Amino acid sequence: MIAPDTLDLHPHRPDEVSVPVPDTALDPELRARLRGCTVAIIGCGGLGSNVAEMLVRSGVGRLTLVDFDVVDERNLNRQFFFRDQIGMPKVIALAENLQRIRSDVRLDLLQDRVTPENLLGVVRGACAIVEAVDDAGAKAMIVNTCLAEVPSVPLVTASGLAGYGSTNAIVTERMAENLYVVGDLTSDVRDGHPLFASRVMAAAAAQAHAVVRVLLGYPEP
Amino acid sequence: MQVDVVLFAHFSGFQPDGKGGRHARTFELAEGTTIADVIAMIGLPDEPRVIFVNSRHAPEERELRQGDRLAIFPPVAGG
Repeated sequence: MIAPDTLDLHPHRPDEVSVPVPDTALDPELRARLRGCTVAIIGCGGLGSNVAEMLVRSGVGRLTLVDFDVVDERNLNRQFFFRDQIGMPKVIALAENLQRIRSDVRLDLLQDRVTPENLLGVVRGACAIVEAVDDAGAKAMIVNTCLAEVPSVPLVTASGLAGYGSTNAIVTERMAENLYVVGDLTSDVRDGHPLFASRVMAAAAAQAHAVVRVLLGYPEP
Repeated sequence: MQVDVVLFAHFSGFQPDGKGGRHARTFELAEGTTIADVIAMIGLPDEPRVIFVNSRHAPEERELRQGDRLAIFPPVAGG
């Protein structure tokens, strides 16, 4: 892991503390529950970067962010990065952006690929896990490993978010006790479907909201 | 023994009755039948799959038991 305290996440405003005004309609006890939770997000691309943004805005207190890649110009059509971050490791660029939203969010960063060997270390202590990688084989590995090794931790995965199809086809389904699947289950980028910000972010929003609901004690999608 | 089998997404077309759909079908299986045996029996394609038995992942060599609920889901790429 990259220790967050070794990163200069506030190059322009080092002394500024930025914490959004909380939603007073949310019960303080529930707000505290979100703040006390850690969510592990595996993959910080179209899904993961946007899920992270929404969870930080929702008040989740701590995130573990994992991605091996660096920001590329082709990511900017749907991922939560900016032009001046091209070439930066995604986990570091994302940490910078998240701390601009709320500077008190705690972040643990890993710039690496997730493997069966390091996965359990990544998700240790998490209240919920978000699978947000793009490769189908990696998705299957992450879900199978988590269902075998940490079956009591809710896992929100995504499958089927590419193409022109209606966002109405993107649903959240509880496939097993602690397995939530978001997507239309069929539209595969390998079939040549493009990735639209609007549809990818709809799926990311559904993943983020599934996490929020589970953390607040609403297990049904 | 009887085992309920649920197949998601395009895997549902491999249910023996050919009718698709994600509802469970009850399979009559010999004792000692493994998950891999069921996959071979219904002819699932060799592609990434999430396998769970009674809400928990199980390896393909796992022998099924009376009353198990086997579910198989093929994740698709994109993220």
